[in-house]
Amino acid sequence: MTEFTLRSNLDAMYTVFLARVRILSRYRGWFLMDIILPIFLAAMPILLGRAVAGTSMEGNFLKNVGTANYVAYMVIGANLFMVVSNSLWHFGFWLRNEMQMGTLESLYLAPVNKIIILGGVAMYTTLRSLISFFLAFTLGCFIFRVNPFQGDIGIAFLFLLVGLIPVYGLSFLYGSLVLKLKEAEALINIGQWVIGFLMGIFFPVTVFPRILRFIAEIFPPTWMNNGVRSALLGLNYFLGEWYLDLAVLWAFCIIMPLAGYYVFISIEKSIKKNEGVGKF
Amino acid sequence: MEPIIEIRNLSKIYTAKERKGVFRGKKKKIEALKNINLDIYKGEIFGLLGPNGAGKTTLIKCLTTLLLPTEGTVRINGYDLIKDENSVRASIGCMLMGERGLYWKLTGKENLEFFAALYHVPRKIRKQRIKEIVELLNLEDIIERPVESYSSGQKMKLAFAKSLINKAPVIFLDEPTNTLDVYSARELRSIVKDLNKKGHTIVYTTHQMSEAEELCDRVAIIDRGEIIALGTINDLKNSIKKESVIKIEGIIKEETYNIIKNLKITKKAAISSSNGFSKLTIVTENARRALPEIIKILLENDSTIQYISPEEITLEDVFIAKTGRSLSQDTRVI
Repeated sequence: MTEFTLRSNLDAMYTVFLARVRILSRYRGWFLMDIILPIFLAAMPILLGRAVAGTSMEGNFLKNVGTANYVAYMVIGANLFMVVSNSLWHFGFWLRNEMQMGTLESLYLAPVNKIIILGGVAMYTTLRSLISFFLAFTLGCFIFRVNPFQGDIGIAFLFLLVGLIPVYGLSFLYGSLVLKLKEAEALINIGQWVIGFLMGIFFPVTVFPRILRFIAEIFPPTWMNNGVRSALLGLNYFLGEWYLDLAVLWAFCIIMPLAGYYVFISIEKSIKKNEGVGKF
Repeated sequence: MEPIIEIRNLSKIYTAKERKGVFRGKKKKIEALKNINLDIYKGEIFGLLGPNGAGKTTLIKCLTTLLLPTEGTVRINGYDLIKDENSVRASIGCMLMGERGLYWKLTGKENLEFFAALYHVPRKIRKQRIKEIVELLNLEDIIERPVESYSSGQKMKLAFAKSLINKAPVIFLDEPTNTLDVYSARELRSIVKDLNKKGHTIVYTTHQMSEAEELCDRVAIIDRGEIIALGTINDLKNSIKKESVIKIEGIIKEETYNIIKNLKITKKAAISSSNGFSKLTIVTENARRALPEIIKILLENDSTIQYISPEEITLEDVFIAKTGRSLSQDTRVI
């Protein structure tokens, strides 16, 4: 008889992770795109700024944002946007793909808790996001002549790691919608720009009107983005100290995954009561 | 005998949307399973037969935890379907989606390793288990290749291999010989028999009556969500033995079929046609006595007869006798 041990569960999680890595290795273009896209994304506002403001750009940026290093600001923002974007949408895309391939039913037939499978997928997304972040950031710094070793790298890395956890909570919410609506693309097309806007990839959210700023501040990636930038470029943290901002992110780390998982399980149950997970 | 699957008062109702034009739609409740009561015994090959849309797949999806039943209880290998979901899953091996359900970008071996881990097969015996299955199904030549390069039949074989990975006491096989060539289908049926001899209980769905007759110890015929016949193949055939069957193949018009259907000597009749060629089955009390009158009607109505014979009763005839329809007719409600 099958024994459900901690070891066998961890082994199942690692196998899900390994299968994703193997599939990625057979679509190498995906990874290349992860590295190149943030550079293009950062290049547009940098070049636009240079064209519009010319030599006074650094002064204006310093006055409004608190740093003259607008290039590093954009490179960090664009890279973090890609990290959030990959982590957030990947789960929904994965789910949709499994639905269409018929493998989702195979996963549901296996005697393994869904949290184990989700954990394996999250491990893969984290690794892919972090590797592409570091490669794209290094390449971006090299192209735009930015020193990548400035500021407090340790704290920035902490914000990046902790900030990913609530993103997975959000990704479970998105996955629930995909499970229910059997659609991934339209949701991404809308959500992608809302997220980029709310987390302030090219500007500080302090320039938002009050209501919009409030909405941005209940969105965890905004805190991650601001934390990483503040640590690397010496900007102001929202609550004055890095550990206070990090504490807010920790709170999101508890709330968002629990909320995401709860909604996912509820929708999954309602689907199993009706047409089942096999319909796509 | 001890039941390994106990189904009590199982019902499944779900809501489906009926599309009317681009924007309009209407929700409709579908009663896919109606109060199913069934015991499947340890060590038997049990056949589930019925036309498309009869409820076979819904029943299997309920038994394999993919769908939640609306009412009723199910115990598999002693575990409750709802309360002990993972223990039920560990007790079953499934081949439900044919060649779907595999990762086409991974090799056959990587697929088997993946599912072995999800079924908690310990690492130390995993390699050996996969080797045994690969040898059993003669997959040695293709196992290291990505699944996307497989033929349809090879994918079906790998899907079958996947269902054996956890050496489960109960194996569900949904139309496993679909897309297999004659030789591979025969090979698979022989493996199913061997697995059964080793003590596995097999639940087998098929459209092919000959396959069910060859393999199954008992069968249940499902129609419109209900079990309309249950027993051994001989029991079911004997249940209509006092009747007999005439089979006619040729070009037969719908009106001619209606005339024959409404004859006093006809108990039940069913016709299936494709490309203008028809197969007519007539269940009557005495085939030899009814034959002259039926031939007369066919000739009077310009039918072309290619084959006509009073025949031995098959499971298909049992279905026609019970429902008045052919198994190839779709009974889907939506």
